Amino acid sequence: MDQEILLAQIRQIDPQNQISPKKTDLIALEITATSLHEVMRTMRKQPDLSFDMLCSHTAVDWLENGFELIYVLYSTQFRQSLMIIVNIPRENPVIPTVSNIWLAAEAQEREVFDLFGVQYDHHPDLRRLFLEDDWVGYPMRKDYKDDFMLESAE
Amino acid sequence: MGLVAQMDQISGGSFILTRMDEVINWARANSLWPLVFGTSCCAIEMMMATGAARHDLARFGAEVVRPSPRQADLLILAGTIVKRMAPRLRTLYEQMAEPRYVIATGACTISGGPFVYNSYTTIRGADQIIPVDIYVPGCPPRPESLLYGILALQKMIKSGESLREPGIRKKPVVSELPPGVKLEDITLELRQILGDEGITNIPEEIARREWSTGL
Repeated sequence: MDQEILLAQIRQIDPQNQISPKKTDLIALEITATSLHEVMRTMRKQPDLSFDMLCSHTAVDWLENGFELIYVLYSTQFRQSLMIIVNIPRENPVIPTVSNIWLAAEAQEREVFDLFGVQYDHHPDLRRLFLEDDWVGYPMRKDYKDDFMLESAE
Repeated sequence: MGLVAQMDQISGGSFILTRMDEVINWARANSLWPLVFGTSCCAIEMMMATGAARHDLARFGAEVVRPSPRQADLLILAGTIVKRMAPRLRTLYEQMAEPRYVIATGACTISGGPFVYNSYTTIRGADQIIPVDIYVPGCPPRPESLLYGILALQKMIKSGESLREPGIRKKPVVSELPPGVKLEDITLELRQILGDEGITNIPEEIARREWSTGL
């Protein structure tokens, strides 16, 4: 995949979008939260990209640096992978859903909501997936604590 | 209980009853039907120990693994038990017909293992939910350890419950195979433990344990 063409595509949507400076195995794009939905639609629909598969979606909690949402896309036609990174603030983390672009995103976004508490805008069925419905808090956040947990003895 | 009442009237009836206990316990010990309860990596090791040919569990009469608690009398816990699984485990245990025996294999099942600290889900030891008879340590335990655990359970059953006091059983036994220890030493020690240790009342034990925390 030509990175220049890819970069031009995403710059067109939002000039702040860029190729990620981080060391990653895949080509990684860092894009803004507001342009996520349009970028994703372009990745899926545009014939010379056609990333028709969402391999995985997860989040990383960087505490004061907010949440990092990671989408890994794959094109079964061109056999290429692409990573999309979005940084969102830790307080009131809201992001548009991509479940209307890839249906597989529905369950994966529910999992991230379950464990990190990321709110997905326009998600059709955003509720707990693995934990009980009345669970308080989001346990994969790094500052999560509850009465059941034992602190390490060291 | 009709049988017990009749035998009590025969002089020396207690002698006959003791023999009955022995026969019944012998039958129970040699036809253990385990219930499938594998939740993680220990289950793979357990399946190798029970199912495969090399460490054939059928030699000890415990190979008929049942998917239904109604048909099983031995619960082999293999794997981490989490908060959400705990009520289901308790239900399975209560559905099993008496007398029922429990073997806990592996570090996670015995104590929570590597997930003791800073885990929001892992139950710290299966004996917080149900009474456990045999603990088989290891991560996961070697097949030999599990077989040794089954043998220890068989010995426990054979010297265990009586018709007069069903549910009154010997205390839990730790089944571990330390290095450099001979089989005779183990046999001697085991006999001593089974003989000297106090007894436990299973129905009381069940009633004493609360349902899993926070549920």
